[in-house]
Amino acid sequence: MTDLLRLSSVEKRFGGLRAVGGVSFDVPEGGIFGLIGPNGAGKTTVFNLITGVYQADQGTIRLADRELVGLQPAQIAAAGVARTFQNIRLFASMTVLENVLVAGELRRRSHFLGEIARSKIAREDEELVRTRAAELLAAMGLAGQEEAMATSLPYGSQRRLEIARALMLAPKLLLLDEPAAGLNYGEAETLKEQIRSLRDRYELTVVLVEHNMQVVMGVCERIHVLDHGITLAEGTPAEIKSHPKVIAAYLGEDLDEAEAEA
Amino acid sequence: MKRVPAWVLVLVGCAVCVGLDYAYSATVAADRGMKFWLMIAVACAINVLSATALNVVNGMAGQFSIGHAGFVGLGAYLGGAVAAYVAVAMKIPLAALHDNLSFVQSLIIVPCVVVPVAVVCAAVGFVVGLPSLRLRGDYLAIVTLGFSEILRLTVLGTVEDTAKNPITKAIAALGGSLGYRGPKLDGDFVGIPSVAGPFWTVGIAAFAVFLALRLKRSGFGRALRAVREDEIAASAVGVDPARYKVTAFVLAAAGAGIAGALLAIKRDGPGIVSPANMRFDKSFEVITMVILGGSGSVSGAAIGAVLYTAVFYLSEEALNQAARAGVGFLANVDAAALRMALFALTLVIVMLVRPEGLFGERELFEKKRVAR
Repeated sequence: MTDLLRLSSVEKRFGGLRAVGGVSFDVPEGGIFGLIGPNGAGKTTVFNLITGVYQADQGTIRLADRELVGLQPAQIAAAGVARTFQNIRLFASMTVLENVLVAGELRRRSHFLGEIARSKIAREDEELVRTRAAELLAAMGLAGQEEAMATSLPYGSQRRLEIARALMLAPKLLLLDEPAAGLNYGEAETLKEQIRSLRDRYELTVVLVEHNMQVVMGVCERIHVLDHGITLAEGTPAEIKSHPKVIAAYLGEDLDEAEAEA
Repeated sequence: MKRVPAWVLVLVGCAVCVGLDYAYSATVAADRGMKFWLMIAVACAINVLSATALNVVNGMAGQFSIGHAGFVGLGAYLGGAVAAYVAVAMKIPLAALHDNLSFVQSLIIVPCVVVPVAVVCAAVGFVVGLPSLRLRGDYLAIVTLGFSEILRLTVLGTVEDTAKNPITKAIAALGGSLGYRGPKLDGDFVGIPSVAGPFWTVGIAAFAVFLALRLKRSGFGRALRAVREDEIAASAVGVDPARYKVTAFVLAAAGAGIAGALLAIKRDGPGIVSPANMRFDKSFEVITMVILGGSGSVSGAAIGAVLYTAVFYLSEEALNQAARAGVGFLANVDAAALRMALFALTLVIVMLVRPEGLFGERELFEKKRVAR
């Protein structure tokens, strides 16, 4: 299996703080890859570097054969990288459907003047985008709520809406930032199934930042552990669970215990 | 109900506007007293255009521009100049130029004015929109304010006709604080032709509202609102905020420029372009219209513009009439100041009762969205 995403020696400083210090990892195509670590380890920063919200100071980030460092966030999205946000960022004053439709802009062939004139191409595009949005909303269990305001949805639905919006890009790589935050045990179990089925159905590669060990250990095929911006360990869930450095980083907490608690 | 095709609407709209144009001339000829009401109607139409344009930037894209009057003023000077030169080129006699021109003449002059004004203002809007890529909120507002003030002060600051430098000479020809009255012909100012009747003012305003509604409902409009809500999330789904924000500025500038041009060349117009058009309180007037109607709502901005303009003129007229009728206390107060105070009070009350404006982001006849 080839690698879809390759980070090598990626570094990011904020003033004197080294948020990410020379992190390298490869994510195989079609894999579900976990990125874990204590609070402040730099996980979300890594996501922000991949998606171009921050520019890496050093190192390379490659998606297949394309270098992502130096590209604008919108270009990176166009290249096939979609993400969700740790602290849910939906378009607040827009409906559920509109939130997903916005992500269809990239597929639009017509200029906005064509849209105003309602040209044939523009109408076809709109039709296409709406059909796909309806499919995705149904797939994420949001059918029937299209016209509700996005922020009026319950928390769990908002998270699923963010995923639907991300999938609208038809991405190759999906970055999920703490998708299980705030979910109860049952919901987290469902999430695991959903992540796997999404990966299969939409031929995705998934990278997951997550604190919920139940989800991380249950769904990830490989896990990369960060602490204070540097790599602590990488391996399969079984390897990570028994890795002494990882256990130490989690304050001696037994990861099996953490899993049981979660 | 079957939807009426757009081209039918446009045709009907044109027919109505042509009718309006002739009705206007006929009404004024029959009854001079009607001129006041028609003047208000034309002023409403121009402000609707101006507010609709500003709503694209301030309402839909969520960028706070307070330099709108700069574009209006630019359009007024440019449109006035083009109209005057075109009228001279058409060999319209000077005496006729000082009166309203005919509808047929307007069919030649107004398109000659509107197209270049829209293009030039759009280009300037592009340049003024560029800072929006780096600046937000108050900081961007200052830049846009700076733009309109620079334009105004440039015109005000150069009056010497004797300037040698071609640039200062050209600026001096704009007349400084006296205002611009077109080129000189046989030693006399041509004046800005009064040519655009209701066909043009009401027609263009209605067309602009129609375009803005379509823009809002298009994918582009959706993306624009997404940029307003959250730039980071928008760029994460492939919507490049830079492109959308700058385009919004370009569209708003073109609309404002046309509004300015119409202000200069409207029928029974002033015949002069004054730098006061570019004063920042003019920008605030338009902002008030947009916020009054509901930022982001096309019909809201249009209705806000009509309400604002109508109340503005009618309150003046009402106070004048009251003073003439001898209402006692009016003799002892400054009627103009009283009017502005009442006007401001009304706005404060409206904003207290409806902080999102009359319409919020909704449109007229649009169902309220249910929050579930």
